[in-house]
Amino acid sequence: MESNAGTTETRSNVTVPDGGEVAAFESLQFTDEIHRLISAPGTDNASSFTALLELPATQVVDLLHSPESVKLIVASAPNVEDFKGSFHFPSNTGLIQKDARFSVFSGEGNNKNEKSNSPEMTSKNSSANLEKAVKSEPAETVSSLPLVSDPTMENRNIKRKDREKKVKGSTKKSKTATNERLEDAEKLPYVHVRARRGQATDSHSLAERARREKINARMKLLQELVPGCNKISGTALVLDEIINHVQSLQRQVEFLSMRLATVNPRIDFNLDSLFTPESGSTMDGGNFPSLVTPLIWPDVQVNGYRKQFQHQWHFDTLKQPIWGREEVCNNYVTLENSLLSCDSSANSAATLHANQLKMEL
Amino acid sequence: MMNTPQQVKNPSSSLKSRFITRFLGALTKITAEDPISSSSPTRIFQRYRRIKVASNKSMAYSVRSRRIWSRAMLSRFRSRRSAFSGRRSSVKTTNCTTSPPPALIKVTINEKKTAKGGLDMQTDELRELVPGGEAMDVCNLLDETAHYIKCLTTQVQVMRKIVDFYHLSK
Repeated sequence: MESNAGTTETRSNVTVPDGGEVAAFESLQFTDEIHRLISAPGTDNASSFTALLELPATQVVDLLHSPESVKLIVASAPNVEDFKGSFHFPSNTGLIQKDARFSVFSGEGNNKNEKSNSPEMTSKNSSANLEKAVKSEPAETVSSLPLVSDPTMENRNIKRKDREKKVKGSTKKSKTATNERLEDAEKLPYVHVRARRGQATDSHSLAERARREKINARMKLLQELVPGCNKISGTALVLDEIINHVQSLQRQVEFLSMRLATVNPRIDFNLDSLFTPESGSTMDGGNFPSLVTPLIWPDVQVNGYRKQFQHQWHFDTLKQPIWGREEVCNNYVTLENSLLSCDSSANSAATLHANQLKMEL
Repeated sequence: MMNTPQQVKNPSSSLKSRFITRFLGALTKITAEDPISSSSPTRIFQRYRRIKVASNKSMAYSVRSRRIWSRAMLSRFRSRRSAFSGRRSSVKTTNCTTSPPPALIKVTINEKKTAKGGLDMQTDELRELVPGGEAMDVCNLLDETAHYIKCLTTQVQVMRKIVDFYHLSK
């Protein structure tokens, strides 16, 4: 066994790759040891290593030397946080890495707490914590060598798919890397998954795990979309919230259409004069008089109205007074302008212009 | 809610503006055919339903076929229209996008087992809410839900502004 001076490992039981468990590394010292191991000349070790890889040696070398080879994202195990980016090899595995640029995992720190970006890989082993090592090794490009970190027995758990270079490796930016990878992975026919330590490694559970991670990613997006969902933890509650939101939106549509049904006056609508941003002054739409209404849609007002609006929720809408029947509200152009001007970012100019209009009653 | 950046390439072609155009057009048509002077509840109710359908239809058309839910909604409209093209009855004019009354949903949901599939309840509920959700897997369902929520929010916002407009000009 090589002495790994300088490695700081918090776990003491680094076992030999004889089928026993591999210690969960919590801190790895990456730089010196790797290079040392790389330069280690033992060919017998090489053979054993490649044997562990279950790959032909040539393929291994290819993997080692490909700069943009597959990056593996390792889902963070619970003990990941202690990683300071130091990496420790079980030394007697004799890792012979010809390529000095291999690094362990592509997680690059963004897998500390998120598991959403690893649809393709999850670490099968506690040594998957090696992802943290990448953080401390910004100069190291991430290569497709999970095996480097799992020199011993995890290799047989690693799916062959992992080694395929279908997923483009990204550069050094961790977040963008994983994001790209996430998108890439979702388009690819292969799903690169890595099982964590202690978890089943058959293809079903791996695929399921990848699927779950995709779902978690989407749940996060939904959480941002639905107000008030960020603080909720737990998928079931978030889903409940989402369901409530959708239901409330649908009910709002119904309610508003009911109000429109009761409110609706004679609407004379000239589509031609729509979408003209400066049609403020005189509207001759033929049907409606030349009234101009102030286009005031201040948010305050709308919001205030909305408050009363919501208070009236329980009202029977049919009994609501039917306004505007006698009053023709006329300017659809202005209405359209107001609706559209609130879309665009240039609505400040529009509202200014609108506020200069006078209203005749 | 403002459109996402990818849709505001050109203000005139944003989802919101497309929806506004269609919906206001439909609205004028509805109110033109149906003079508001007759304020009988039946008429009002019919008008309400038509407006609701017009609103959802306008949104679905604005989204075209880019989304599963919009496609499902559009096919629903078409099948419905062809189903009772001859009849004028309002049997089927319920809004297809609304779920059954919440009480019903809860009852049926509670009957299902919730052991590990605690999320199955919610996903089934979601499937009922989102049009076309029955045939989607969970992953797509969440995607569609996100887009659906966005469109619903736009719908509500526009309709609310229209109502406010009327109210202001009262």
